[in-house]
Amino acid sequence: MSTLAAQQQALLAALFHMPAENATETIAAYAQYTGARGLKAYQANGHALAERVLRAAYPVVTQLLGDESMADLARAMWHAHPPTCGDMAHWGAGLPEFVRHSEQLHDEPYLADVAAAEWALHRCATAPDALLGAAQDIASFALLAEHDPGALTLHLSAGVALLGSAWPVADIIAAHQASLPSADSLQSTFADVGQKLRDQVAQDTLVWREHLAPRLREAMAGEVSFLSALLAGHSLGAALEASPALDFGAWFPMAVQTGLVLGATLLVVATTADTDVT
Amino acid sequence: MPAQPTTTESLTQANVGIGWRHPHYAQLLQEQPVLDFLEVHSENFFGQGGAAIAVLEQGRSCYPISLHGVGLSLGSAVGLDPWHLDQLAQLVKRIDPIRVSDHASFARGVFQGAVVHAADLLPIPFNSESLNLFCSHIDQVQDRLQRRFMVENLSSYVQWNAPPDEAAWSETEFLNTLAQRTGCALLVDVNNIYVNALNTSKQNEVSEDNALDPEKACRNWIDAIESQHVGELHLAGHCHVNDAYGDIVIDDHGSRVCDAVWRLHLHAVSKFGSVPTLIEWDTDIPALDVLLLEAAKARVRV
Repeated sequence: MSTLAAQQQALLAALFHMPAENATETIAAYAQYTGARGLKAYQANGHALAERVLRAAYPVVTQLLGDESMADLARAMWHAHPPTCGDMAHWGAGLPEFVRHSEQLHDEPYLADVAAAEWALHRCATAPDALLGAAQDIASFALLAEHDPGALTLHLSAGVALLGSAWPVADIIAAHQASLPSADSLQSTFADVGQKLRDQVAQDTLVWREHLAPRLREAMAGEVSFLSALLAGHSLGAALEASPALDFGAWFPMAVQTGLVLGATLLVVATTADTDVT
Repeated sequence: MPAQPTTTESLTQANVGIGWRHPHYAQLLQEQPVLDFLEVHSENFFGQGGAAIAVLEQGRSCYPISLHGVGLSLGSAVGLDPWHLDQLAQLVKRIDPIRVSDHASFARGVFQGAVVHAADLLPIPFNSESLNLFCSHIDQVQDRLQRRFMVENLSSYVQWNAPPDEAAWSETEFLNTLAQRTGCALLVDVNNIYVNALNTSKQNEVSEDNALDPEKACRNWIDAIESQHVGELHLAGHCHVNDAYGDIVIDDHGSRVCDAVWRLHLHAVSKFGSVPTLIEWDTDIPALDVLLLEAAKARVRV
């Protein structure tokens, strides 16, 4: 190993090892001024960054845990799973599993699924713009009246994600995101979510982008299999066949209005996959 | 393929800009104050879609943009991250910035058998091994981006030993040689020079050596940089921390530029000419008007 590589490994070890009591000794062989205060500055910077990044990506988890616990969690995550790339928007993907396996958070079994949904929202915010851009091609919906559903498909918004959970994840997040008009309605909303938690109401959560804003709601009946089929490249007809529970007549105008569906397009060639998506 | 350096004129045609951060995205687009350029952190716009890149494209339609990176890790012994360089290249192609820069630092390296990224500007030693590696990485970046790159000096809280078989290089020797060998430009952060000088002064107080006046040390640093390489100056605030762990000056970009750094800026302008100056403010970000007042103060000088 080159001297340079050894120096850099030593400094990284001093910053990421936990506990960090021996950090100064770790780089003493390589540095003329190890200044415990200087190392502390780098360590503190890393911890502050970790906290800032996770708070931004996981605002509801932060509310559920409280600021102090979130800071502890960020610090633990920083040392257990250091960043692997220079874009910090990618760091934190492992938090749901980190939470799921945390003994301290064992009494909050829904928290990992809430974190997973928040990460999907976070990634949705910067997902590559859809083929049609953020704008909808309203005129293309005329194709629905002109062609068999097996001959066309729907374009979905950027960042669509579907997450299943044994907990009412969509309602938990919605309650914490909501700007409710009064203390009474706030209390009522949280009482409703609390009851669903006690009853362990399972929810599938849908994440998508409405123009530039990431959105989240509980998936409708049949919507998960329907959207999964469309995301897999199947025709509208095949997606409908795979989703008998979906009320397409109610779903479609709502999906257009909320930017989930951006347009319709004819499939050039039907594939064998179109006949078997279940 | 050799990099195609931008001309000196294109490096210096804009004069004073501010760091454009999230709290000011909407207000700045709405009010469009007189500024010669905006600086953004490249990594904040690596996402391929959504609101962030849309806002930057709006900003680009009103102002020249300087892309300033914090994560390329140019001094890393494990090499550049090809993914990071690809993201930067795509952003450069999309935004067509007036300048592109990062730091004389490293962040990537091996920890417990895997490559990690410290997400910080960690110091590199100033010696021939480090210089050779840094030059090869700058060549790689300039080839990929097909434009001249700028490298910024940093605040350092650890000073490396010189190799036993080599005389210690000064930071300015290192940077001048880097620019000579690669054709890259230098981004001189005046506040970083001052922060380093203050911390060195504190160390010397502890060791009871004859401490050099920090401002004099900074003027010497500026005088030692070859003017033709300098493409931009940075100004920012710093803070003094004295706690249970010790006494240190931190480059936190969280306050107004101090009087000493303004004096050093004037010295830098007299040495380097009217190169573009950036006001950086990244923590405890104030009202936009405060940044604009700092920018106006810089404009008088450049």
